[in-house]
Amino acid sequence: MTTHDGVSDASADSDRLTDSQDIIVAENVDKWFGDFQALDNVSMNIKEHEIVVILGPSGSGKSTFIRCLNRLEEHDAGRIVIDGIEMNDDVRNLNAIRSEVGMVFQQFNLFPHLSVISNITLGPQKVRHMPKAEAQQLAMQHLERVGIPEQADKYPAQLSGGQQQRVAIARALAMQPKIMLFDEPTSALDPEMIKEVLDVMRELAESGMTMIVVTHEMGFAREVADRLIFFDEGALVEQGTPQHFFENPEEERTKLFLSQIL
Amino acid sequence: MADMPMQQPPGRIVLPPHRVRASRPFSVRAREWVRRNLFPSRNGTILTVIAVGFLGALLAGVIWFVFIDANWRVITENRWLLFAGGYPREEAWRLWMGMGFTFMLIGLTYGTWSSFGRRDHIFVGLISAFVVFLMAHGGASIWSSLWFLLAVGVMYLSYAVTVRMPRELGPIRTLQQRVVGGLLILALPIALMILLSGDASARQLDGFVLNLVLAPVGIVGGLAMAIPLAIGRASRMKTISWTCTAYIEIVRGAPLLGWLFVALFILDDVIGGSLIVRAMVVMAVFTGAYMAESIRGALQALPRGQYEAAHAVGLSRLQALRLIILPQALRISIPPIVGQAIAIWKDTTLVTVILPLRELKGNADSAIAQFEFTPDRIEAYVFVAVVFWAVAFMMSRISQRVERTLGVGER
Ligand SMILES: Nc1ncnc2c1ncn2[C@@H]1O[C@H](COP(=O)(O)OP(=O)(O)O)[C@@H](O)[C@H]1O
Ligand SMILES: [Mg+2]
Repeated sequence: MTTHDGVSDASADSDRLTDSQDIIVAENVDKWFGDFQALDNVSMNIKEHEIVVILGPSGSGKSTFIRCLNRLEEHDAGRIVIDGIEMNDDVRNLNAIRSEVGMVFQQFNLFPHLSVISNITLGPQKVRHMPKAEAQQLAMQHLERVGIPEQADKYPAQLSGGQQQRVAIARALAMQPKIMLFDEPTSALDPEMIKEVLDVMRELAESGMTMIVVTHEMGFAREVADRLIFFDEGALVEQGTPQHFFENPEEERTKLFLSQIL
Repeated sequence: MADMPMQQPPGRIVLPPHRVRASRPFSVRAREWVRRNLFPSRNGTILTVIAVGFLGALLAGVIWFVFIDANWRVITENRWLLFAGGYPREEAWRLWMGMGFTFMLIGLTYGTWSSFGRRDHIFVGLISAFVVFLMAHGGASIWSSLWFLLAVGVMYLSYAVTVRMPRELGPIRTLQQRVVGGLLILALPIALMILLSGDASARQLDGFVLNLVLAPVGIVGGLAMAIPLAIGRASRMKTISWTCTAYIEIVRGAPLLGWLFVALFILDDVIGGSLIVRAMVVMAVFTGAYMAESIRGALQALPRGQYEAAHAVGLSRLQALRLIILPQALRISIPPIVGQAIAIWKDTTLVTVILPLRELKGNADSAIAQFEFTPDRIEAYVFVAVVFWAVAFMMSRISQRVERTLGVGER
């Protein structure tokens, strides 16, 4: 299905992936900012329940790629299909895709004027038209899942960074997405708060969520990822299992990057 | 962290009782305060002495003028002229009712979202004393004083009722906020209806009442235009953004005086209507352009991440704007918007300069045009200035209160 050998290894490793479908298909995706090419012919298939970690130096197009997956950026060429829905200018498709894909940002991006619980109920109420009481119940469930139900009535500014990021995860989960995108979710956190966020993500991975995670947390990548993908200069350079990556990466650029980061 | 102690819900900050810190006797602390703040060094002492001398002389001058030199008959004899001028006498109850309605809203608003502090009570007391003194002086109808005091009573009553309602989130609180919020939104139309139904017409708005009507119409109308203008100017659709930009830049390019000329000569053919209505339109159009720029600044100051997070949770463009972007942008732009509001409040005097309309300052001119009061023009203008200052001061205090209640600047 994919061109690289490492991928088939990854799929074989993990039995829970064997009978699942490709939930994300990206084919030859290009993205330009003016005359700067941010994505260069990127193709990848991601199966349902798969955990993919994207690595790469700063400016290599990691964010741009995952932002294309929920249309925060529009790709200029190629094809993106999410759960069978083609990503194009059709607004209905766009809304359908957005409600299947949750996103967690580096800077949390909570709504500062809303309480924690309102941050979470907003989407279910306004997009899914869920009654308020039901939405609040759902929100509390997700706050419990990320471990901070007691913070429900506070405002984002009253929480620590780690707590804010966990609220952001709960906010995304409350839309009951099939796919979760994480763009460097721990990069803005103080070291002592990184673990609490990674623990939540680990639990989420175990529950079978399809996840694409851009991160520099190698421990997380090694332990949780089914597949690692290395980006450089807008292109997908190498992919494979964590074992493949950390023990015998093939490409020179991958080796160089890993030697710098490990 | 998850194991942090439970904190107070936001909005109510509880400080430790003041006395805990005040362990030393008052006299010691007072002496220390005086030394630190008034006589910190030799040069500081000299400055304090000079400043005290200057302020003392100023105060003495003011007292001498107010209580000895000035002849306030120009005000007391013309109080109705200054207050409502040509408004029909037999419809005067509408003025008191409008005042009572406004005061009730103030009471409801403070009772729902804020609370009266000692300073507010002092301010209300001073204003009431001033008004009653003014009306009682020279044997005016005692009814006016009574009506005014009744309006103040209504304010405290509606305050007392609402402030006792529970503040915890819940259906009662939500209902209370909706009712008071709805009343606030409808306040201006209701007040105008009270003032202008029956035999009274816009043409007869006069004196201070005219200022009190023109400014809110300009402010509320301006705000209503400013929000779409600001959003339009930031729009990606060029035709919309160019139109809004052109509007803003053209309106801001000429002074209010110029636009009032337009109201006098050009608008007559375009929209007709009474002069006062045309003046209202011009005020709203003018204020709207300035407020739009304040709001646009706030829109641009919002981090991109807010738009992106809104889209990521699936909100449509319009929902994102209404639920995420505008509430934050409006909150940020309260200080400049209040600045515009105070400016337009003072600029209501300009309608007298251009249009044959008689607001407070215009009627002060008429008062001193009477032969018997020509020597008292300083008194008349001092009075007008103090009244304008008091309202402007009140506006800025209220905006400070709103900012604090909404937590401006706390992200
Ligand atoms: N909105 C934009 N306009 C112009 N250039 C952009 C924009 N967003 C990203 N880029 C450029 O695209 C490249 C890839 O960015 P990004 O995907 O954010 O990299 P990464 O997340 O891997 O650090 C960078 O060189 C960045 O400067
Ligand atoms: Mg990035």
